[in-house]
Amino acid sequence: MKNAFVQFGVALPKIQKRHIQLLLVLLALALLVLGAAAPYGPGPI
Amino acid sequence: MAQAPSKRPSKVILLIAVFAGLLVGLLRSRLQHQAWQLPELRHVWLVVVAFIPQLLIFYLPGWRDQIPESAVSAGLVTSQLGLLVFCLLNWKYNGILVLAGGLALNLFVIVVNGGFMPLSTETAAQLMSQRFLDTLKVGSPLGAGSKDILLAPQQIIFPWLADRFVIPAGFLYRFAFSIGDVFIGLGAFLLLSLQPNYLERQRSRC
Repeated sequence: MKNAFVQFGVALPKIQKRHIQLLLVLLALALLVLGAAAPYGPGPI
Repeated sequence: MAQAPSKRPSKVILLIAVFAGLLVGLLRSRLQHQAWQLPELRHVWLVVVAFIPQLLIFYLPGWRDQIPESAVSAGLVTSQLGLLVFCLLNWKYNGILVLAGGLALNLFVIVVNGGFMPLSTETAAQLMSQRFLDTLKVGSPLGAGSKDILLAPQQIIFPWLADRFVIPAGFLYRFAFSIGDVFIGLGAFLLLSLQPNYLERQRSRC
C-alpha cells in the first residue's frame, strides 16, 4: 500500500499540460456525442 | 410514464466511436513517427453549458418527474441547438461537419415530431417483449432517461430520420438508432482519427 502511494507521488509530476488538455477534449467530445445522439435501447432481451 | 429498464448503455455505446477514433489517431501518428496532435477546439465551454439541460433531465435521477413534458422537450431542443452552434464554430476540423450534419438531422426530426426522437411501435417491437410493449402508451415518452417518444408508424413525420435502424439479432445488446446517430459517431471518429499531424509538421517547416 505504501509502495502504491510512493508510485503515485512519483507519477504525479509527470502529468503535463497536454494530458489535462487531452482529458478535457475527450470529455467535451463525450458530452457532445451524448447530447447530440438519441439512440434507444431497453436493455438486453 | 412507463419506465423501461437499463437505458444508459444505448447512449454510452456511441462513446465507442470517440475512443476508437482516439486509438486509430494514436496508431496513425505512431506509424508516421509523429506526435499526435490534439484538435484545438474553440468554445469548449459551450458544450458543457449546452449539455446541462440534458444532464438534469436525462441523467440525474428524479429530476425529470418534476418537469413538465413541454419543458423537457424545450430543454432537449435548446441543448441540441447549443451543441450545433459549437459544431459550426469549429467547422474547419475534420469530421465536425459530419457530426454537425447528424446532429442537425436528429434535431430536425425531434422538432417536427413535437420535441422528442420518434420511435415507431414496429421498431419498438423488435427491441422489447410484446408484454412490455403493451405497458407503454403510444404518444408518451419512453421513460425518464430516454429522448424517445413512442409513436405509431403513420404518426411519424420524416420516419427515415427517426430511430428506425436496429442492431441485428445475435448481438448482446440491441438498440435502435437514427441515421443522424450514425453521422454523429462517424464524425467523432473522424475528428480524432484524422488529426492532420503530417500537415501540421509540414506547415511548421515552411
